[in-house]
Amino acid sequence: MDSKEEIHARLKEVLVELFEIEPAKITPEAHLYQDLGIDSIDAIDLLLRLKELTGRKIQPETFKHVRTVADVTEAIHALGLSEAATGT
Amino acid sequence: MSLRNRLDRGWRMFGTGLSFACFGLGGVLLSLTLFPLIRLTSPDRDTTRRRIQRAMHYTFRLFVLQMTLLGVISYEVRGRERLRRGGTLVVANHPSLIDVVLLIALMPEADCIVKQALWRNPFLRWPVAWADYTPNSDSAEQLVETAAAKLRAGRSLIIFPEGTRSRPGQPLTMQRGAARIALAAGTEVLPVTITCEPRMLGKGEPWYRVPPRPGHWRMVVGEPMHAADYAPAGVPEPLAARRLTRHFVEYFTRSVTAVTPAAAGGGSALVPGGTMYRGVDA
Repeated sequence: MDSKEEIHARLKEVLVELFEIEPAKITPEAHLYQDLGIDSIDAIDLLLRLKELTGRKIQPETFKHVRTVADVTEAIHALGLSEAATGT
Repeated sequence: MSLRNRLDRGWRMFGTGLSFACFGLGGVLLSLTLFPLIRLTSPDRDTTRRRIQRAMHYTFRLFVLQMTLLGVISYEVRGRERLRRGGTLVVANHPSLIDVVLLIALMPEADCIVKQALWRNPFLRWPVAWADYTPNSDSAEQLVETAAAKLRAGRSLIIFPEGTRSRPGQPLTMQRGAARIALAAGTEVLPVTITCEPRMLGKGEPWYRVPPRPGHWRMVVGEPMHAADYAPAGVPEPLAARRLTRHFVEYFTRSVTAVTPAAAGGGSALVPGGTMYRGVDA
């Protein structure tokens, strides 16, 4: 089980790799759309990349209410928890 | 203001209003006559699409001719022949209300992205659908897919990456959808720089506020760009889209300045047709 810190660090790497976002800007509070300039098509690419990295199924609905970097970390973390609980 | 100036402005206000009235009325009339006739006499959807697009082209030419003959606008074009190639993504900046009309008037068969309101218009929704224009109502991903498929099929598409008319005096901002389409389709991008001097029909300018002189549009078709240059192996697509969009912004910021005649110069620097402005393609 990855801790939230680890997930945040991985997410940061992905955001830099995919979108060339300045690492200093990627704080947990940073807003994906407003602060980091991610658009709706980027969000799909981000989702695909996270799927690859985590090897977990991520439903687009999970990300519907995601607004900040911390929300993404939280969503991935919660996925891990639910998978651990069902033993998959 | 002298009487002559006042008469001149009054005439152009009348001419602009008349042109737009004809455009609106003509649109309704054609939607009830010519367009359904084309639809009924065409053997298949693709033929309908081509014929309707051509009909739009001639209709828009007529509208441009009307505005020109009334002395409301004037325009010049450089590199027009490049616009006649199929499978081209035409990317333009967006200074005025009639940019898309001018571009379609220059392209015998062109697809464009049409806003939601037109798809709900009782008259225009049918011709717009028969022309198989691209609705922007779908999700962004869907829009990119649809547009790229059309380009790959050899059709040409006009897009304004600013998404709306430019804000005068402000730095250009562009959305990344156009770059996404170019990357997904792998086709040529043809940049068209549009300027209007003095400003007319720009953002926040109602049609009846006519400039001191007739608006003069310049459309300069630049050298084709290749989206693939921005997506070498190993560069993820979102990053390539950012780089290409940044390139668009830099290109248009530069070319708009190059195409706009020096404010102090005055007069029209009409260059004989067919030649290109130096500096624009540099």
